[in-house]
Amino acid sequence: MTASQTSLGRVLFWGGLTALLYAALFHYADSFLHLAHTTQDACAVQSGMTVDYYNKATSELCGEKGGTFIDGTWWYVFAPIALAFALSYTHGLFTGLFWDVVGLKAKK
Amino acid sequence: MEHGMELINFIDLNVTTAIILILVGFVGGMVSGFIGSGGAFVLTPAMMTLGAPGIVAVASNICHKFPKALVGAVKRNKYGQVDVKLGLVLGVFAEAGVLFGKHVMTGIKNTFGAVGTDLYVSIMFIITLAIVGGFVFKDYRKLKNMSDEEQDQVGLTKLAQWVQSVKIPGTMFYSHGAKSELSVLFMVPIGFATGFLASAIAVGGFIGVPAMIYILGVPAIMASATELVIAFVMGLGGTIFYGLEGVVDIRMAMLILLGSLFGIQIGAIGTTYVKDYQVKFTMAVIMLTVLFSRFFYVPGYLGKLGMMEPLPDSTVQILKWIGDGVLFLALFLGAFTVISALLKGMREHKKRQSVSARNSVAD
Repeated sequence: MTASQTSLGRVLFWGGLTALLYAALFHYADSFLHLAHTTQDACAVQSGMTVDYYNKATSELCGEKGGTFIDGTWWYVFAPIALAFALSYTHGLFTGLFWDVVGLKAKK
Repeated sequence: MEHGMELINFIDLNVTTAIILILVGFVGGMVSGFIGSGGAFVLTPAMMTLGAPGIVAVASNICHKFPKALVGAVKRNKYGQVDVKLGLVLGVFAEAGVLFGKHVMTGIKNTFGAVGTDLYVSIMFIITLAIVGGFVFKDYRKLKNMSDEEQDQVGLTKLAQWVQSVKIPGTMFYSHGAKSELSVLFMVPIGFATGFLASAIAVGGFIGVPAMIYILGVPAIMASATELVIAFVMGLGGTIFYGLEGVVDIRMAMLILLGSLFGIQIGAIGTTYVKDYQVKFTMAVIMLTVLFSRFFYVPGYLGKLGMMEPLPDSTVQILKWIGDGVLFLALFLGAFTVISALLKGMREHKKRQSVSARNSVAD
C-alpha cells in the first residue's frame, strides 16, 4: 500500500468514526437535552410536539402547571463532557489528516 | 417568571441553524487558529444572535473549547512551548474565578431572567473588546514600523522585571516559561481575573495571555500555548459548574466544534505565511467590529428588563438586524483576511521556491 493510500484510509477511518458520533448525538438529541435539563430538579411540561423544562421547580409548582416533576441527578453533567472529549479527539485527528491529504501545509 | 419556575430555552435546531452554526464555528476556528487562543470571542455573540440566551451561549462555548484546548496543549507541549506548571497554578486560581463568575451569572439569571444574562454578557463583551481591541491596535501600529530584528529584541517589560525580582519565601516556584522564580501570590489575581472573564464571555485568554507576557515575562509563543492549559482546567470546571445549572447545550457546542476544528487548522497554517503585525491588525479589526455589533442589541435588552422605556418592536427588530449584519460583516472580514493571507502567502512561497530551484539548477 502506498503512503497516500494509508493516509486516505486513516482520514476515512477517523472521519467515519466522527460521523458516527455526530449521528448518535442527533439521533439521541432529545435524550441529551433531557439529561442537560435534569441535572437539577426540573419540571417537564409537554408543549405541542416538544417538552419544555422549567428550572427552580418544586413538585407543587410543577403540579399546578400540569407537568411532571423530575428529581435532579447531578452526575448527568458528565454525559456532554464525555461526548465533547470523544468528538474533539476523533474530529481533531480527522480534520488534521484531512487538510494534509488536501495538500494544505504549513510553511517549512 | 411564571409560577416562580423558570424556562431556559435552548434554540430550535433545524437544518438552516445547524449549517449556520457549523459555518460560524468554521470562521471562529479560523480566526482562533490565526490569532492564537481567544478566537472564541466571535462564537458567543453568534450563538446569541441565533437566539440562545447569554448564559447558554457562554456555557456551550466553554464546553466546545476545553477538550480542544487539551488537544492543542498536548500538541504544543511536544514543541516545548507549554509551561505546564505555570498553566496549572494559574488554572487553579482561574477555577476560583470561574466559580465566582458563575455565581454572578446565575445570580443575574435568577433575579432578572435569561434576558438579564444577555445584557450582562453583552456589556462584558463591549468593555473587554474595547480595551483589548484598542491595545492590540496600538501594538499593531508599533510593530508595523519595526524591522524583524527589532521585533525579536523586544525584551521584558519593567513590570515583568520587577515581578521576577520579588522573592517572597515559601511562595516561590520556578517557571521555565519566564525562566525565573515567580511568587504564587502574583498568580492569584491573574488567574482569578482570567477565570472570571471566561465565565462571563467564554474567553479568558484576553487576560491570561497578555498578563503572562507583560506581567510575568513569558515569551508570547509560550504564553499562548500555556493559556491552553489554563483554558482546559477552567473550561472543564466551567462546563461542570454550568452543566449543573442545566445550561450547556451539547448539540450547539458540537456543531460549533464540527466547523471550528476544520477552521482552526487553516488559521494556524495561515499564520506561518504572514507577519506578526498583520495578525494583530486582523485581530483588532474583528474585535472592534464585533464590539460595535453588540451595541445594537442593548436597547432591546434594556427595554425587556424594564430599565428603560421599551422601544417599539419594529425599532428593536431593525436594531437587531443591523447588529446581525455587523456581526456577519465581522465574520466575513475574518474569513476573508485569513483565507486571502493564506492563498497569497502560499503563492509567493511557491514562486520563491521555484526561483531558488531554478537558480540552483543554473549554479
